[in-house]
Amino acid sequence: MRTTEPPRADPPSSATLPTRQSMLLRLAAEGATGALLRDTGTLYLRDGQVSHAESSAAPGVDVLLTAGGRLPRAVWDEAAARTGRHRRTGLGRYLVTEGLLTPGELEICLLTALHDAALFALAPGGGPTRFRHGVAHGLHAARPVPAAAVEQEARRRRRLLDDVWPGPAMDTAPLVRRPVPPGSSVPVRHRALLDLADGHSTPADLARRLGRPLFHVLLEVRRLATAGLLAPPRPPPPGPAAGADDVPPRDSPAPSWAAEGFVPPDTALLLRVRAALEAL
Amino acid sequence: MSDIDMSLYEVMALPGARGAALVDWTCGLALGSAGESPRGQPEAAAVEAAELARCSVEYGTFRPPEDDGPDGAGREPDGAGREPGGTGRVPGGTGFEPGSGSAGLGGDGPRRTGGTGVEDLIVTTRTAYHVLRFVETGHDSSLFLHLWLDRDAGNLAVARIRLKETARRLVLG
Repeated sequence: MRTTEPPRADPPSSATLPTRQSMLLRLAAEGATGALLRDTGTLYLRDGQVSHAESSAAPGVDVLLTAGGRLPRAVWDEAAARTGRHRRTGLGRYLVTEGLLTPGELEICLLTALHDAALFALAPGGGPTRFRHGVAHGLHAARPVPAAAVEQEARRRRRLLDDVWPGPAMDTAPLVRRPVPPGSSVPVRHRALLDLADGHSTPADLARRLGRPLFHVLLEVRRLATAGLLAPPRPPPPGPAAGADDVPPRDSPAPSWAAEGFVPPDTALLLRVRAALEAL
Repeated sequence: MSDIDMSLYEVMALPGARGAALVDWTCGLALGSAGESPRGQPEAAAVEAAELARCSVEYGTFRPPEDDGPDGAGREPDGAGREPGGTGRVPGGTGFEPGSGSAGLGGDGPRRTGGTGVEDLIVTTRTAYHVLRFVETGHDSSLFLHLWLDRDAGNLAVARIRLKETARRLVLG
């Protein structure tokens, strides 16, 4: 089950595994049980496999289930309170035995939340990694996921985002919708998202309100920007005010589409090179 | 025992079934898989099948007209319906039946959660059928079951019925 084969066709930035990833794989190889803590999130290991993940950035299972109306918030809170005295042991089982949720839907939610949170927990630059042996979480996947598969999926997701629209400029900015071209139509799922793009809400706000994984919203936002239905990110402010993470201003005259804030592909390449250098 | 795995084994019990997977079509991740994978690459198969499923959902051509906005241009009829406390859900009653509670997997309004308008996709090749059946859940999701079926040994009509039942049982128990 547990394989440590190197990922196929990865860009150089992830070919060299940083220490934190090695730590996860090392713990997995040891068959460790406990919590892998980083600033950006926590992975729970059970016998060397990832059984659950949490991140403050990503909506938890509770949000996935309550925001869209699958479970009333009060029902979840009561279930959590009833099972909470022992670190929420058996919350999942409680929801199923009380007939509030089927095992299938719970499992789908848990796996979805696991990979969503893992993306942020394993993010480059997520701070130092600590491991607390023996710590368990009351919610856990019926079939835990091999650590290597979790890492591989997180890398694939980062690539996927950059393939659709390079750069993280839209990930945290308020979203502004653009008019739908006459004659075209918008699918229901996109409409739900666009209706909330009010110029104030960020992708994280939308994920919480819709009860969708944050990665899904980030990806859909970039796809909608590509389709012209969301305003592209604003160009970074010029001059020394720009933060260290911002794209440096270019001296060459900007092409017309740059005025709309489209990040040129060569910038993405530069960012990848920088990420690769930082990962060394 | 994982319920996802049980559902996949149920589908794999069909005559001629070669492989099955539960895939998220927004991101291309297989939440579970059983049997063989086309070309021996389960991850690639999930990504490619997800792209096909996503196109079918996102292109207006395949969407029932009643799932469109009033002018087909996505203006908000009751845009706040998905928000907490919004009017689109069913706060009355028990409030937590999945949207696909009726056997028809449809007809309960375009706002049903996870509803795509498309029920299934069938790709036919010289040697196989691929059936992609969308799964409607009570929470917001984007899932489908993918069955790879041998064309000589399999029965497409039976497979479609089984996939529909399995998709429903996975969520409703």
